[in-house]
Parts: sequence; structure tokens; C-alpha cells
Amino acid sequence: MAQTTHSPSAPAARSGPIGWITENSLAGMARRRALLGYLFILPSLLGVLVFTAGPVIASFGLSLYQWNIIDPPTFIGLDNYERLANDTRVLQSFVTTGQFVVLAVSLQLVVSLLLAMGVQSLKQTGLRYVFRTAYFLPLLTSAASISIVLAYMFHQDFGVINYYLGKVGVARIPWLNSSTWAMLAIVLTYVWQQIGFTFIVFLGGLSGISRDVLEAADLDGATGWRRFWDITLPMLSPTLLFAAVIAVIGALQVFAEPFVMTNGGPGDATRTVVMMIYESAFSFLQIGYGSAIAVLLFVVILLVTALQFRLSNKWVFYQ
Amino acid sequence: MAEPTGRINRRNLLLTAGAGLSSLAIGSATTPAIAAAPAFLRQEQTLRIAFEGTAVDPLDQQLADGFKEQFPDANIEFIPIQGTDWNEYFAKVLTMIASGTAPDIMSVATEGTQLFASQGLSTPLDDYVKRDQAELEEYFADVHPSLVEAMMYEGSLYQLPRDFNAANMYINTTLFEEHGIDYPATDWDKDTFYQIARTLTAENGGPPFGYGWTNRLWGSWMPWIFVNDSNLLTEERAPGGEWLWDAFYADADDTVQRGGGWRWEAPQANAPANVEALEFVVQMAQEGITPSVSEGGGDLLQGFFTSNSLGMTPAGGFWAGGLNEAGMTPDAFDVQYFPKWKSQRHQFGTAGYVILESSQAKDLAWEFLKYVVSKPAMELSFGGNFSTPVRRSMLTAEQYSPTGPQHWEVFYGTLDEHPETAPIPAPPQANEMTSIFMRYTGLALTFSQSPQEALDSMQAELEELFAQEG
Repeated sequence: MAQTTHSPSAPAARSGPIGWITENSLAGMARRRALLGYLFILPSLLGVLVFTAGPVIASFGLSLYQWNIIDPPTFIGLDNYERLANDTRVLQSFVTTGQFVVLAVSLQLVVSLLLAMGVQSLKQTGLRYVFRTAYFLPLLTSAASISIVLAYMFHQDFGVINYYLGKVGVARIPWLNSSTWAMLAIVLTYVWQQIGFTFIVFLGGLSGISRDVLEAADLDGATGWRRFWDITLPMLSPTLLFAAVIAVIGALQVFAEPFVMTNGGPGDATRTVVMMIYESAFSFLQIGYGSAIAVLLFVVILLVTALQFRLSNKWVFYQ
Repeated sequence: MAEPTGRINRRNLLLTAGAGLSSLAIGSATTPAIAAAPAFLRQEQTLRIAFEGTAVDPLDQQLADGFKEQFPDANIEFIPIQGTDWNEYFAKVLTMIASGTAPDIMSVATEGTQLFASQGLSTPLDDYVKRDQAELEEYFADVHPSLVEAMMYEGSLYQLPRDFNAANMYINTTLFEEHGIDYPATDWDKDTFYQIARTLTAENGGPPFGYGWTNRLWGSWMPWIFVNDSNLLTEERAPGGEWLWDAFYADADDTVQRGGGWRWEAPQANAPANVEALEFVVQMAQEGITPSVSEGGGDLLQGFFTSNSLGMTPAGGFWAGGLNEAGMTPDAFDVQYFPKWKSQRHQFGTAGYVILESSQAKDLAWEFLKYVVSKPAMELSFGGNFSTPVRRSMLTAEQYSPTGPQHWEVFYGTLDEHPETAPIPAPPQANEMTSIFMRYTGLALTFSQSPQEALDSMQAELEELFAQEG
């Protein structure tokens, strides 16, 4: 009679999910390790799912409905998107936002890189800490609060900026009352507040460049601008890509500065896409339409980011 | 060694979670709007009162304590809701209603009366008023019928007005005296006003400026539309309302044929009189008489006025307390009727509390409404002159002597002396209408478009808006 042999120390095998997890094998061990890992990240994962992914998915769903939050939602299919395609104000807001992104991100990257290089070159550690803190501090403040203060400073008739410009003979600039100048004022406000992030990123990137490489470049006669363009910048390119991607994504979603400083005016000169979403959804109670605009913005951000990564193959050098 | 198999797949985990959330999202989107929280979850006899503001004023708490003396079982919870202006406040309250956390009572100004009434969100007070007619006779006898009519919609009354503000002309007496300009006559006209504004303005443009205003619905350049005998929208009186006029104003000396509230049905933004009015204010801006116009509630303008950088501005009784609080002495400013053009028809706004239809404590809410319009409660609320009380008997020399202005009788006189005075146009689509109005006003005032172009574009958008809503 055949006998079934069991190891005297092995417990009896259990069936079902519990058995699958507690299986005494390499596979079982791998499952238990994976489960432990997921349990550790579960709080963060839940947070992202509930507060980020969930609302994004809900927006996709809501964009197919007409809903004024008072009456029950009505399914209308793609009507919101059809309306969006013919809505010149919304389409113009994408153009306006694009103009803002080009101006703001260019200025932000250039200035923060220059500041990072300046701070990096400081010999005194204490001084380095002081400037690092000073440039990073605006990022810790509220964008709305800064916008309120700067709106007063940019006031055409009573603002301190025009006051001091007047002292040097410059006529009053209609900072917030002109289509051209209003965009510039908002760009300056935004860049001042956001520059701390890219500054810190570049500072880290510059610290990561090997000193040996830089010294070798010096020995070969590559100094100043030549060294920066041919050595520093290529080695910093992965950091530059990261900073550019994050900066563009943030700038595409700008809201506080134009909302507080100009409320999108004069006319729609500084009305960004997120302002249009807010206006449609919360001022005019067209939740479905606002969601459709949000979905379109999501797609645009996705495409722009994909394009950035695609183009990075040509100019980003990974060591 | 064989590769471990059967590991929990990360992709499947995320896909499963995403599918679950999708189902939840789509499922929740198809369910009817969430009703107010069931009564058993809320403390009995609790009234939640929403108002536009950043914090509960100690005076509001005193008001609540006074109400509790009459109704000891009642609990009052004030909910301040911040907004740059009325439209933002209304949007936030509507979001509260949709989320099932609606207040019982909310403060609503003219800009929102029809917005809430037309959607069935606010409760008509007709039955309550008829039931308590005897008790309310004293109140209605003390309130101008124009203010009551402004709180009506399609024949029903939705609010008991508490305060109002007509756009009169505030005068910086310091600047007037510096330039040797006398206090204007009651029937001063647009040309006299312009000369004064020109005189007050510094050479080559201000500061100081002769005249300033804020881009919003009430005030702004709307008063010029009204005195030019026009309106942004067509206006007519809705039928009905006899139940109220016969009950409370049968013996009143009222020359106006009252109705059941106002109807603003069609836009007429680019009417010649409106173009003329906008051209006038744009001309003043081009000449440097008016500083750059900003949006908001007027705090910036008040700052310019109190620092003697601004000579005149349209404002209501709400400025009296505000200017005094900002440091102006009672004789440093004054008020006069708005200048006459084709007429001297003023525009006003009024406010009161509405009982929301979703309230589970309507009877108690009605008692609160009656309480807050009683004379003792109103004397408590309006002691600082931060708005104009609707009770005529409360506007006295004694009331205004601590704050100014000297000619306080202009506030109520606007209604008595100019009975054609009417509320600002505020149809159910007031939020969108205001947005369109402010946008094109901004374009005209920044000289991006001519007044005719701006108003033609405004008219086109308003027509589209009213066509959608209609």
C-alpha cells in the first residue's frame, strides 16, 4: 500500500487565498513579500486613488453629462465636447495659457539656473545657505497672498512699481489694464513665486556634476561660456529635462495669479484654461462642461509631456 | 532554481482599483442630487445661517442670544462664507446645497433673489406673511414698498428686506474745500458733475482723481445707465402681489403701480443711451479723471477716498461706517443724489434672509426672519452704519452723527424723492450676466475696444445667454 509521506515539521497545506499566501514555497515567499510591500504603500495609494485618480476618472464621467448640481445629471454623450470645439473663448484660453507657459517657463528655467550657478560658486557655506533660503522662500508662501500684494504693487496709479519707475522718468505702465502688460505682470509674479523649486533642482544637479570632469575641462582650456555650453549644460541635461517637464505641467495649470490679479482680464487677455474650468463649473454651474474642458486640458498636458520626452532623445545625455 | 510564479500583479491591482473607482464615479453621477442630511442626524431646533463674510461678528452672536431668549430651545449656527463678491458667495452656497450640507437660512442680496427663487431653492413667504399679518404691519409701515417689491418674484415674496443701498454720490469734502467747491444742489446735473470732477483732478491726471468706481454689477457705471433713463435689460413688473400691497400698503402714499416683482427678460446692452453712458465714463478715464478701474467689492476705492486721492464715487449707506472706521471724521465726507441726466433715477440693491426649501426647520427659520427685522434687532445690527437699514424710522440725525455723513437723509430720500428708482437688473442668470458685463466693461475701460464695440459684443453674448436659458 502506497504511503503518502509528509515532512514531520511541515504544516498541512491550506486551500484558498490564505493557502495561496501562506504557501511554503519560493512563490509563496515572493507573494508574501509583495503583499507586505503593497500594505506599506497602501495609505499613499489610497490617497492617490481617492483624491487624485478618483476625481480624474469622475471628471471623465461627468464630462458626458449635463449637470447644474441642483437638478439630477442628464446624460448627453459627447455634446459637451462638440460645444467645446466651437467655443472660441475656451479655445482662446488654451492659446493664452500656451503663451503664458512659453514666457513663464523660459524665464523660470533661465533665471533659476543662473541663480543656482551663482550660489554654487559661492565659497562661503554660510552665504550659500542664506541665498538658498532666500530664493526658496517664496515657494513656501501662498500664491493667492502673493498675488494680492503684487496686484497692489502693479496698480497703474497707486502702485509702488510705477512710483519708482516714475522717479527715473518712465511713464506709468498699465500693468494690469493692458492685454500685453497684464500677461507680463502675471508671468513675473508666477516666476518669482515658483523659481525656488527649479532653483533647488538645478542646485542639486550642479552638485552632481563630477569635479574631475570640470577640472579636466579646465586643463583642456574649456573655460567660461565654452565650459558651460559644452560640459556643464550637457551633464545637467537630465536635470534640465526634469525641471522643464515639471515647470510646464505646473504652468499649464496656472490659476491663482491671473484669478486674483486680473480675473482673466482685460476681457479674456489673461484668462487661462483652469479659470475657464472654474468659471464653467463653479460660477455658471455647468459641471459637465467644466469637466469636459478639464479632460481636454489633461490630454494636452499628456501630449506636451510626451513630446518633451520624445524630443529629449536629441538633447539629453545620460551618463 | 525556477522563477517564482503567481506574484501579485501590480498592473492588475491598479486596473482593478481603477475599474472599481470608475464604477463608483459613474454610479454616483447617475444618482439624484443628494438630499439634505436627514433630520435625525442634526440637532433639533438648530438653525444654520449662511452669510457672506470671513468671520462671525460679535453683533451676530448678540443677535443669536436675543433670539434664544424668545426661543430657548433654538440653537443658532452662523456659517461665514468668503467670496470676492456676491456671485462667488452664491456659487459656494449652491455647492453646499448640492453636497447635502445646505444651511437653513442664507443672506441674499438682489443679485441672488431670482437666482434662488427661480430654481425653487428658496421658500416663498406668502403663507407666513398672511398668517402673521398683524404682527408684521408695523414692519411694512416702516419699509419703502420699492424695497419689498425687489424681494418678490412672480407674485411671491421671498425675503423680508433688512438693508439696502442706493448708488448715491459720495463726496470728499476735504478736496471740495481745497478747490473752493460748494456742496452740490440736489438736482445737480451731469455737466456740473463733470466740471467738478475735472477741477478735482490733478493737472496731467491724478492722483488726486475726480471720480472713481469699481467694475461690478452694483455701482460701477450702472448708475449712469439709470440716470440716462435706460437699463442693461428690458424691465417690466410681473403680475400678482396684490395680496401684499392690499394688506400692507393700501393706504400708503405710493404713486407707483406695484406688481409681483421685476422681470428682466431681454438684453439691450447696446441701446444708444447705454453706449452714451459708457462713452462718458471712458472719456473720463482717458482724460485721467478716473483711475484704472479694478474689480471687487470696493475696498481699494475706499482706501483711495480715505487718503484724499479720490474726490467722488458712487456708493451707498454702507460706506458711512466703513469710512469712519478707516479714520475719516464725520465732516470729511458727505453724500448727494446721483447727478441728473435724462432723469435722476437711481439704482439700488437690497438684502435679506431667505429660507431654503431644503430646511427641516422652516417654522423656526420664519421666526428668526421676523426677529431680525424687528426694530430692536435691527438697531443692534446697524448701529455702526455699515449698511442702510430698510426701516425709515432708523435713519435719524442721532444715528449718523457719530459717523457722518451730514446729509444722511439722501439715503432714504433716494426712494422718496425719486420713486422711479429701481433695483439693479438681477434676473435668474445674474451670475453669467454679471461676468459678461464686467468683461466687456473692462475691455472698454482699458481702451481695448470702443464703447460701441464692447457693448455690441456684450449684447451678442447676452442674447446667446438668454436664448440658452429661455
